[in-house]
Amino acid sequence: MSEERKNLWKDWRLHAIVLGIVLLTELIGTHQFQVGPGVILLLPMLYAIIIGLALYFTPIVKEKQSKNAEPLIVLGVTLLIAKIGVIIGPSLPQIIAAGPALLLQEFGNLGTIFFALPIAIFLGLKRESIGMTHSVAREPNVGLVMDKFGFDSPEGRGVMSIYIFGTVFGAVFMGLIAGFLATLTPLHPLSFAMASGIGSGSMMAAASGSLVAAFPGMENDIVAFAGASNLLSLSTGLYMSIFIGLPLTEKLYNVLTRRKQKKEEMKQEKGA
Amino acid sequence: MLKNIQEWTLLLSIFGIVALLGNWIGYNVLPLDALLGMIVLVLICLAGLIIQKIMPGNIPSVAYVAIVGILVSMPWMPGSAKVVEWTTSVNLLALATPILAYAGIAIGRSWTDFVKLGWRSIVVAVCVLLGTFIGSALIAEVVLRMQGII
Repeated sequence: MSEERKNLWKDWRLHAIVLGIVLLTELIGTHQFQVGPGVILLLPMLYAIIIGLALYFTPIVKEKQSKNAEPLIVLGVTLLIAKIGVIIGPSLPQIIAAGPALLLQEFGNLGTIFFALPIAIFLGLKRESIGMTHSVAREPNVGLVMDKFGFDSPEGRGVMSIYIFGTVFGAVFMGLIAGFLATLTPLHPLSFAMASGIGSGSMMAAASGSLVAAFPGMENDIVAFAGASNLLSLSTGLYMSIFIGLPLTEKLYNVLTRRKQKKEEMKQEKGA
Repeated sequence: MLKNIQEWTLLLSIFGIVALLGNWIGYNVLPLDALLGMIVLVLICLAGLIIQKIMPGNIPSVAYVAIVGILVSMPWMPGSAKVVEWTTSVNLLALATPILAYAGIAIGRSWTDFVKLGWRSIVVAVCVLLGTFIGSALIAEVVLRMQGII
């Protein structure tokens, strides 16, 4: 692996393709349109991910480029985090002042359990739903579920399916809904900024980026809060899943499925 | 280690040049005007990556990068005003675009897995992201209001 990972800089084909995508998408620029009271923002980074994906299916991108691109995402995120660091620095007094909100909103990540688990069960999913809805299914959470239930368990398959969706569509999805919800709902953009830090660099970039585009006057505060929240999510996410998320999901799953079973039994009795 | 540093520097430089050009076209900042800022950001990254290699434990390098970035730009640090002034010319969105371009090329390989997902998985995945996002925003809103910050 080390031999292959070295000399990534020599993959000029990959870098030239990315440069081409960046120049093209920045030329197209940001477009927005009104959907009811909300605004949908189309940002260059959203076109970039879609063009990149489309090029993968053309002869321009070969398997090698696709493989080499992966460590470059990690390095690019590092550069983005450095930028976020120098935005957080000057805002440190405000961030400390908002500390309680930052810490407590981490528990909002459990919102997925109360919102998505009942829907998953309603759709007829079985124990997959535990893996699917206990967290946002980023790398640490996938590791945890695999460790606890095994790779080939229903829970493992569940967490993988959400992981795959997040990898492919997470950034696009977050980028679209963050700006839309912030312009649609009465909630403050800074609350959404904190919510953008869900523990994935690209999703955070997309979500906070679309917030910045929608509220340019608050750029520094939005980025500082989103970045600080993302760091918190990265450092607490795993423990949140171990101690609260996963046990809570299993409990709620048992309660919900028992109720569903009872209902079905009642129906059968009535029918008989 | 030296080889690592060389590799990181080269890759960060390539990435930086792409971002500077995007910064120019998308946000009208001449590459020369943002060059100093980009160099500072690359140095912060390198410092964080090197610290991660030296330090024991398994703390991800982004955590060190963030800490270095915060340290050199906080108001109590001498020279922080310059760091902030220079790096302001590098637009956040100009850094995000190349990341997602690389991401698009990389996720092509996950596409076959993706199309195998059933529609139910996709509905649930959307609910998972929405639930987390709205849940956090609601709590943040309540606490920020109680504190009188917003």
